[in-house]
Amino acid sequence: MNPVLLLPAGLAALAALALPLLIHLARRQQQRPTVFAALRWLQANPRPRRRVRFDEPWLLAVRLLLVALLALLLARPALLGVVDARPRLLVATGVDRASIAQLDVGADVQAHWLAPGFPALDQPAPGGPAAFASLLREFDAGLPPGAPLTVLVPQRLAGADGGDLRLGRQVEWRIAGPGAWPEAAATPPPRLAIRHDAAHREGTGYLRAVALAWQEGDAVPPHIDESAELPALPVEALAWLHAGVLPEAVVAWVEQGGQVLVPADAALPDAALPVVAWRDEVGEPLLQVARIGRGRVLQLLRPLSPAAMPQLLEPGFAQRLRGFVQPPPAPTAVAASDYRPGSGATAAPAAPVDLRPWLALAIALLALVERWLATSRRRGAPA
Amino acid sequence: MAWDPVTPGLRAQLRGLRIASRRSSALRGGGQHRSRDKGVGLEFSQYRSYEPGDEPRRIDWKLYARSDRFFVREAERDSPIAVWIVVDASASMGQADESRPDWSRLDAARALAACVAELALRQGDRAGLVALREDALAFVPAAGGRRQRERLLFELERLRAQGGVVDETRLRPLWERIAPDDLVIVLGDFLDPATATLATRLAAARREVVALQLLTVAERDFPFGDGRRFIDPETGEALPGDARALRGQFLARFGQAQRALHARLGEAGIRHAVHVLDEPLPQPLRVLFGAAPGSDAA
Repeated sequence: MNPVLLLPAGLAALAALALPLLIHLARRQQQRPTVFAALRWLQANPRPRRRVRFDEPWLLAVRLLLVALLALLLARPALLGVVDARPRLLVATGVDRASIAQLDVGADVQAHWLAPGFPALDQPAPGGPAAFASLLREFDAGLPPGAPLTVLVPQRLAGADGGDLRLGRQVEWRIAGPGAWPEAAATPPPRLAIRHDAAHREGTGYLRAVALAWQEGDAVPPHIDESAELPALPVEALAWLHAGVLPEAVVAWVEQGGQVLVPADAALPDAALPVVAWRDEVGEPLLQVARIGRGRVLQLLRPLSPAAMPQLLEPGFAQRLRGFVQPPPAPTAVAASDYRPGSGATAAPAAPVDLRPWLALAIALLALVERWLATSRRRGAPA
Repeated sequence: MAWDPVTPGLRAQLRGLRIASRRSSALRGGGQHRSRDKGVGLEFSQYRSYEPGDEPRRIDWKLYARSDRFFVREAERDSPIAVWIVVDASASMGQADESRPDWSRLDAARALAACVAELALRQGDRAGLVALREDALAFVPAAGGRRQRERLLFELERLRAQGGVVDETRLRPLWERIAPDDLVIVLGDFLDPATATLATRLAAARREVVALQLLTVAERDFPFGDGRRFIDPETGEALPGDARALRGQFLARFGQAQRALHARLGEAGIRHAVHVLDEPLPQPLRVLFGAAPGSDAA
């Protein structure tokens, strides 16, 4: 346990120690005029005493200490190597209380929910989806190296990600209860509206076919209009077949979460940074995607005609395009027994314990003492 | 009466004190004094009815013849001495102590002067007042009676400490008024040698002089412990210094000067006492007048 200063340059504030010293010295040099009739028997001291003397030494000491502590506060004192090696228990959401009760843990174990903020286990189980793997890595990184960690998980886990789950320690991996697979969200197919100008009339037929293919035949046909107005009905996707810059209304709609499909001769907004998402067999780009706000702009880089873009006629075109308009969710569910974390990640060094709150408390108390001393009636009559 | 420093408590403490002149009491033993009592000193004051024990020769027989009653002629006898209260009213008398800023040397002097006047008038002596001020002497001619007490108090109340020590040439009226054998009580700080010189010269000129020196606590103890700028109230001279460093030497020098002053007063035959401002008031009067040498009351 080593006390350290995180900002030693703050100690330069110790120069302020001269301030109370000067204050208490200055008063000494002040001379009170005193009427004294027996002046003739007073003899001016030819050699005045040069000894430095301070008024009110106790008050001076308290003030010096106060200034020194303030300088120390600026230097950010901290304690290094304070290891809280108590065992930790992490319980994933989805484990029922009965399983927790069965688990035999020590008395000094620190139990938390594996949820954002890591609430204590006494609190009710937090709901909502949790990025299990990410949270586990976060908790592990904040833990001192020697502290043992037990993780209680259901048999089936949601919230896994593609990364390797390697932690900074050997984790005791307990599996309790069946848990539930996350329900596969049956996302409805996106609805497409088509707005075009005269020059792009040719290509609308292909997009209409795409939209009908998305709706699997039993839905209303897409709303096609040769105009430059946003559709009145709620749709997920919009084919904006106009040349030139996207109107602000369309950009605003995209920022709210819409997906807009634009032709090759449309100009993207300046802020958009397009990334090529689809190339043909020879590597020529077909489609580029740019994020705007919460939505995206998809730009077909070829005219909508089979001559320029033979992929239009391929049977999988509609589903391929849907994959860009409505990307399928990444698989996050995993069996707990298959997701046992490995060890070997470099453990982060323990964060130093900040001593400033305690120092601030001491300074506040000392300031009170200083005020009490400075205003007490034991002080001499005011000059 | 608005201003009266002689409080009932103080008046009670004054009981038993007598202002007695050593000189006149010595004279009073001789026959010369008594004969003067009978002569011109008798001044008619009032009639009062005869009481058993009165001397028959004091009965006014002519009045008895007219009214068929015995009346006694009462006379006011001139006191053989007058008590002169001389108060130094120079600026140094305005000095007070820091522990009691509203009680200056002059305040003490006024209270003591009022006490002396009270004593003198009570025992039938005449009392007068001289205030030594730089610009002019303030006089209350010596007289007796209740009115005189009020006159003295009035003059004392008006007294302010200002200016330097009185000049030698202005003291002429004092010599004219204070007759030989009068009792002169000098109240002052005696820091300036002029006051002591006046007292010794009065004593040398057959006046009975009593000196009462008033000192502040600062002069006795020098209780300062910090940096000071000492200012002489009369000359305006200033002396800055660390009081702690000055203390030892001042106390030695001042003590020496005090001893020299007391020796000088003693040589001149002047009874003297020192009153420091934190002491009880009648203390110096007790020292001076408590054990009166002559006890024969007139």
